[in-house]
Amino acid sequence: MPGTLEMLILQTLSRGSNHGYGIAQHIQQVSDDVLKIGEGSLYPALQRLLMNDYVVAEWGLSENNRRARFYKITAAGRKQLAKEKRNFDALLVGIARVMEMP
Amino acid sequence: MKPWKRIRYLLNREAFDRELQEEMRIHREMAEEKLSQLGTLKEEAHYAAMRAFGNATLAQEASRAEWTFFFESLVQDICFGVRMLRKSPGFTAVAVLTLALGIGANTAIFSVINGVLLSPLPYKSPQKIVVMKENESLPNVMDIQRQASAFSLGGAINAQPIDYTNGPEPLQIRVGLVNSGFFETLGLPPMMGRIFSEAEDVRGGPRVAVVSYTFWQGYLGSDPHAVGRTITLNGNSYTVIGVMPESFVSPREHADVFVSLWVGYPGAAADRGVHFMHTYWRLKEGVTLAQAQADIAKIDRRLAEQFPSEEKERRTHLIPLREAVIGDVRPALLVLFGAVGLVLLIACGNFASLLVARAFVRRQEMMIRAALGAGRGRLIRKLLTESALLSVLGGAAGLLFAQWGTHMLLALTPEKLIRLNGVHMDTRVLLFAFVVSVLTGVIFGIAPALLAARQDVTGALNENGRSTTASATGHHIRKILVTSELALALVLLVGAGLLIKGFSRLRSVNPGFNPVGVLTIYLQLPATRYAEIPKQTQFRRELLARLNLLAGVQVGMVSDIPLGTNYVDHNFVIDGRAPIPVGDEPEVQTLAVMGDYFRVMQIPLRAGRDFTEMDREGQPLVAVVNEELVRQYFPHDNPVGARIRWARDAGPPRWMTIIGVASDVKQSGLNQPVDPAVYTPFVQSDEVWRHWMTLVIRTDNSSSGLIEQVKAQVWRVDRQIPVSDVQTMEQRMAVSLAQQRFNMLLLGAFAALALILAGVGIYGVMGYTASQRTHEIGIRMALGGQRRDVLRLIVAEGAKLTFAGILIGIVGALALTRVMAGLLFEVKPGDPAIFAVVAILLALVALAACYIPARRATKVDPMVALRYE
Repeated sequence: MPGTLEMLILQTLSRGSNHGYGIAQHIQQVSDDVLKIGEGSLYPALQRLLMNDYVVAEWGLSENNRRARFYKITAAGRKQLAKEKRNFDALLVGIARVMEMP
Repeated sequence: MKPWKRIRYLLNREAFDRELQEEMRIHREMAEEKLSQLGTLKEEAHYAAMRAFGNATLAQEASRAEWTFFFESLVQDICFGVRMLRKSPGFTAVAVLTLALGIGANTAIFSVINGVLLSPLPYKSPQKIVVMKENESLPNVMDIQRQASAFSLGGAINAQPIDYTNGPEPLQIRVGLVNSGFFETLGLPPMMGRIFSEAEDVRGGPRVAVVSYTFWQGYLGSDPHAVGRTITLNGNSYTVIGVMPESFVSPREHADVFVSLWVGYPGAAADRGVHFMHTYWRLKEGVTLAQAQADIAKIDRRLAEQFPSEEKERRTHLIPLREAVIGDVRPALLVLFGAVGLVLLIACGNFASLLVARAFVRRQEMMIRAALGAGRGRLIRKLLTESALLSVLGGAAGLLFAQWGTHMLLALTPEKLIRLNGVHMDTRVLLFAFVVSVLTGVIFGIAPALLAARQDVTGALNENGRSTTASATGHHIRKILVTSELALALVLLVGAGLLIKGFSRLRSVNPGFNPVGVLTIYLQLPATRYAEIPKQTQFRRELLARLNLLAGVQVGMVSDIPLGTNYVDHNFVIDGRAPIPVGDEPEVQTLAVMGDYFRVMQIPLRAGRDFTEMDREGQPLVAVVNEELVRQYFPHDNPVGARIRWARDAGPPRWMTIIGVASDVKQSGLNQPVDPAVYTPFVQSDEVWRHWMTLVIRTDNSSSGLIEQVKAQVWRVDRQIPVSDVQTMEQRMAVSLAQQRFNMLLLGAFAALALILAGVGIYGVMGYTASQRTHEIGIRMALGGQRRDVLRLIVAEGAKLTFAGILIGIVGALALTRVMAGLLFEVKPGDPAIFAVVAILLALVALAACYIPARRATKVDPMVALRYE
């Protein structure tokens, strides 16, 4: 679904800033390998978030002292995340209702 | 979203790309590290990370694309397209030229349509102006103005030649005799001064004139103080009170100066029975044409009751101004526009065919692009950009053609087509050309682009030249294109053939006279100085006597020359027949003649005798009638000796004895039926108002010296008479054929263009077929095949296409040429002879186009052909 990936990235970043690889790893681990994020979609999604000022990026050092580009969620980003969560919940409820119909 | 961010990206693009690349490299390294921690071999870990990452370039491009404007990739595509086209100049030139012809012809015709049909007429809210189809007299106009509730204003005009004698030589110009409402109805204010007031528009009003812009420029030297100057018209001084702006043109009648009818021609102004004015009416706010029509019908009934002898047969039809002005040229223009659209379709067929052929030349390039990760959509977009680029180039070149074509058109166009709005390339025309170009490129580029972007990667990379299923599809498409082109060309050829046949019919119409070697000169006597018939007769007699002295000429005179625009009708009654109720008397064309009119024009007399010198004033009144009158009114009797008279004469009846029967003359136009006509001698006329005449002079030496001699003789009799309207009778005939000639030439040119384009199209396809089959032909020849057989092989394929095209074309032509019925003279749209001739012509051209590549194929050396791969 369009926009879902961005929501997942924002959610990941809401727990603290992270670099691209870290974001992908986190989503994959937490989802028990159900969600595998290809880099072909991760980076375009990050660019979209950057352009909308939902995240900011800066170069820093990773846990094992490696140079990496860290993404940090902004206030606008948190607002957007909350909005997307609401929409997503409503959507889930809707889908669930349809699926539970005998 | 955020344009400034995109712009910032554009400015720092290299840094951005470096960062992104760096970021992705780090990502991969992290993945690699992770894998090796899990115990994978270092090398394997590297490849696994690479695989997991996927196509790095693609990911990078997709990320970058988020930041770019859509048109950035468009600009890239265009730049690339330009490079590609530069690398194959031959292909580019052929494609651009093909489209330039099609688009150029369309743009030229469109600029005429734009000027004539689409631009609003140059009046104030012209959609509110309606026109009476029938001419009116001024008393009727005034009654209608008083009684009608539908109109806010009404204007009337009659345009006539008038003598202008302020110049070095007396000249004929045209005066618009109007009422005071004329300018107001059309709604354009004067550029200088003022227009007539109602107080001036009365019998005995002041002699004042409003002049047109062209008159002000040409005769008054663009004098900024022209208002107040005097000009001499028909020997009377008029004061200029106003100058109309350049944009003002009288809708249907050309006039240089405008004068109140009450002042310029009071006799005609008061006469209710003389319906000679064009009228224009402005609808009141909210009144529809239908309401106005109902209103006018009521007034018609009232007038008919009130004035039965003049107005009994009133039936007034209102039509919108636009229809009155351009009604009769619209069908011709629309047919031409349709025709030129077909030409464009044929050109597009060739264009698409070229692109399909090129798609195969470039298939390896496309495969490599696809292998490197270019998506199918992206490839199609690139190809469409290229074809649109070609078509826009074609359009630009087409504009040059159009510029030149429009000049040609205007040189050919009957004058009234362009008088009102002028025809030029405005933004609308440019926009039209641009839109047509882009659409052409995109629509006709789609199929070739889909085709080129379709093939599977491995197949094409391995392929090294010869036919595949894809190229077979392509060839199939080209065959369909060529067949359609031939069908369209046939439709155009049939259209042109019909017009040519109609035109030659029209030209071979017997006008009833012999125009060769006849010079015509229109003369008009100023009404003020020639107010009585004897004075007019004196002038005519003296002039004829003088002209008869010139060597080698025969001279006559007629009130209205055949094929001219003017004619006079009278109602008439026949002596001894049952009386006819007033208003129901039959109408006849009436012509006054003098001198050797019938002999000069070589109009044979069928019975009785010609007028002689003895048929003069004071002698019994005589008349010559035409055969049509005899057919209609004397079907069983001998007309010679019968008596007729005009129905509405005041005073004692003036019976005229018919002394002869002249053969029919196409008086009102070559494509018009002959009306019953009565000729009378000028000298016996009692119609003072008929003070105009046309001299007809038959001469064996058509030197221009004759015109000077005639002028000198006219001025010997009266120095103030203009002799400016001089034409040979053949010129007059050409003018009356102008519209048909215009249609025929244009459609003929389009058909020729279509024939060439379709010929080139089938030539291209057959050339490709022949080259594809070189190998096969080589084998056949090597095995002893004859050239003749090979020739037949190739030509047969072309013949199949040709006949399919011709069959489809015939069906299409039967359906489409019906819209031309109104433009044809004595030819049916389904004329079988034309269809046959055209089909044969097209078949010959197409087969010739097949024959050339086929012949070339047979010349191939079998050894070369066999090695050819």
